[in-house]
Amino acid sequence: MEIAYQMIEVGAEIHRVEDSVTRICHAYGVKRTDVYATTSNIIVSVEDTDGSVLTQTRKIKHIGTDIERLDRLNDLVRGITRDAPEVSVIHERLEQIDKTKSYPLWITIPIHAMIAGAFCMFFGGRRAGEILAAVLIGLFVGFLAKTVETLKINKLLSRFLCSLLACLSAYLCLKLGFIHTVSNVIIGNIMLLIPGVGLTNALRDLFAGDIITGILRFIEALLLALMVAMGYVLAAFMLGGAL
Amino acid sequence: MSFSDEIIQILASFCGSLGFGFLFNIRGKKLLFAALGGLLSWLLFLVLGLSPASEAVRYFLVAAALTLYSEIMARVLKTPTTTFCIVSLIPMVPGSALYYSMAAAINSDLTDFIDRAYYTLELTIALSLGIVLVTGCVKYINAFIKRKSDRQKA
Repeated sequence: MEIAYQMIEVGAEIHRVEDSVTRICHAYGVKRTDVYATTSNIIVSVEDTDGSVLTQTRKIKHIGTDIERLDRLNDLVRGITRDAPEVSVIHERLEQIDKTKSYPLWITIPIHAMIAGAFCMFFGGRRAGEILAAVLIGLFVGFLAKTVETLKINKLLSRFLCSLLACLSAYLCLKLGFIHTVSNVIIGNIMLLIPGVGLTNALRDLFAGDIITGILRFIEALLLALMVAMGYVLAAFMLGGAL
Repeated sequence: MSFSDEIIQILASFCGSLGFGFLFNIRGKKLLFAALGGLLSWLLFLVLGLSPASEAVRYFLVAAALTLYSEIMARVLKTPTTTFCIVSLIPMVPGSALYYSMAAAINSDLTDFIDRAYYTLELTIALSLGIVLVTGCVKYINAFIKRKSDRQKA
């Protein structure tokens, strides 16, 4: 159960989670397993060989993407299905995986800047001023994203704030004459905030047959996109709105 | 668009994918190959641009090809396919299309907004269909191979 919980938390596909749980239970000789998972909860019901039934439910509170953890969880599942080790061994491994490190702040914040700069150039920003502005605002967004994460405010609201402040600073650069058009600078930074991965995952789940999860993810991605758009719209109105 | 523009785009797509690789906590060799996937996706998109295919069709083909790349790399490096799939397709996320549809909405240009929003949706659907097609095929082939080997054992 804990494995499934962590898997969803780090952004695994739903069918991978359901499949893993079924295989684990199978490895321990359970007669029948039913798993139902969405991005917000998991229900596992197992029937033992003597006919007794056990059901457990978990609510999922936080979702992110952490491939390294997903990778290690996947390895663990593979190990379990192969050798069916003692439960205490699994708990130990899970604790280790839970402590998997992410990249430190001094890497991730400059990385935000790099992404913003790269996509500014990618979408046609060629003037040095534009690229520099995108990089600086990217740095700012990276810092901001980290701050709101520690503040633990509503996900939609925090996305709105990031978008608003990023677009405001882009318009500010325009007013101060660093750049001639805002579009490329804003697009570079929008790439950081946009739920592109979420949207693609949502549609993939939908087409793959996990309709409920697909709809949940789709709505979430749509709302996040809407928040990014709102931030931009508000910034555009506040500072002239000349596009 | 001049030739140097395209080189800049390809390099930028590599850097962008690399950056997201960091944010998604991908490590070591996997990070490099994931970012390489980002480069390949845009390269392929540009190459397909030489044909008369529409953008949605190109998106679909790129998504399918890169998912195949992800499936192969996932088996080579023994890691979930998602590792490569998400990052490789980052340059294909229609961020600019979304931006321009919002810009049109602000200018209260409804026709332009609908055109652009529709275009954004079209690209996204093409992208996910490409992914689903290949994942579906791979799953089917896997099951087929497994059944065959099971039969040989029996």
